[in-house]
Amino acid sequence: MSQTSTTVYKFFADFVFNKTGISYPEKDYYRLDSRINTLMAHFECETPQQVYEKFRDNLTADMETFLVDICTNNETYFFRDEKPFKALVNDMIPQIAEQKGNNLLNIWCCASSTGQEPLSIMMSIKEAQEQDKVSKGTLISFKATDISTKALDKAKSGIYTGLDVQRGLPIQLMVKYFTNDDKGNWVAKPDILSPIQYGSFNLFSTIYPAEQYDIIFCRNVLIYQDQENKKRILENIAKTLKPGGFLILGAGESLIGTDLDLTQLSLSNALVFQKPL
Amino acid sequence: MKILIVEDSNSIAMVVAGMLKEAGKEPVRAVDGKDAIDVIKENPDIALILLDWNMPNMNGLEFLQYNQENSLTKAPIVMMTTENKPEKIMTALQHGAVEYIMKPFTVDILNSKIDSVLNSGQ
Repeated sequence: MSQTSTTVYKFFADFVFNKTGISYPEKDYYRLDSRINTLMAHFECETPQQVYEKFRDNLTADMETFLVDICTNNETYFFRDEKPFKALVNDMIPQIAEQKGNNLLNIWCCASSTGQEPLSIMMSIKEAQEQDKVSKGTLISFKATDISTKALDKAKSGIYTGLDVQRGLPIQLMVKYFTNDDKGNWVAKPDILSPIQYGSFNLFSTIYPAEQYDIIFCRNVLIYQDQENKKRILENIAKTLKPGGFLILGAGESLIGTDLDLTQLSLSNALVFQKPL
Repeated sequence: MKILIVEDSNSIAMVVAGMLKEAGKEPVRAVDGKDAIDVIKENPDIALILLDWNMPNMNGLEFLQYNQENSLTKAPIVMMTTENKPEKIMTALQHGAVEYIMKPFTVDILNSKIDSVLNSGQ
């Protein structure tokens, strides 16, 4: 066991829970060790007690951002689980265009991490437009948000390492939609990067715009939340979904434990949820 | 399932062979393109080929061209190389490679690329 006291663990566990909803129950306090060590190194403290006192007594916005960044899991890769991206262009976008009678499409990727998911969405749409599955005249308003400033900075840059672009991204799409720079990185081309409006958003916010989006990707974020938080986030998301709009969760995530009026559908073998018209 | 590693570097070939064995595959080795022709003739059941670019005698691109002209094998070919310029990648794809692994890579990348090619039925 480390030299970290229960008081220190509890302080940081509560802090992270209140800011992000990520839960560290007492039996999992050891999972905070590496985070506390990172804080000690970054803020030049010699003991967990010192860094705890610094956060307790002299907290700044930068310190808070740093802690949120190191506690959020930014694991992501291109075309994760694949099926939702097929359902997006084969089923959801054509259905929404038909329902609305226009080509305006409002998408929200609400835990966009370092950007691989929103870029996968854009590439799927571009490819589908070339194949006439999606109208070339579709006007996309695309919001992508995350709580982690560090993740958002990378997403906005559109710059990925050789390892990043090899995770889930077929080579044909990589050479089509990315260029390589003199450092060996791969940079997303403006036609897929520039339509995405990145911004900071905490899913615990109480301010969700009413009936704003046709399609919401909320994948692999609820798995880190307890039941009460999951319910609260899903209720807010359902409210910001337009009637007839679709919600896409991560593989293994569901609406269990909520009583939301969303219909579960299987589209192109992907499980999605639709708000009644 | 046999996977052919066409790679002149013994150390890289050994590492990749180890990764493939871990994933339940059967690695087969050729040291360059010319050697690969012989190994393929002896092993018609090779399911996929991992092909380095820069090798003596017959390099990866020359092997792709040979295969296009002589229909040596229908096994999907995945480049595995340090050559990572878009022009080089396009050239390999135009000559019959179906995927591309850029060195360095991880065991997860190797496995997911192999699986996606085998599952796509290419």
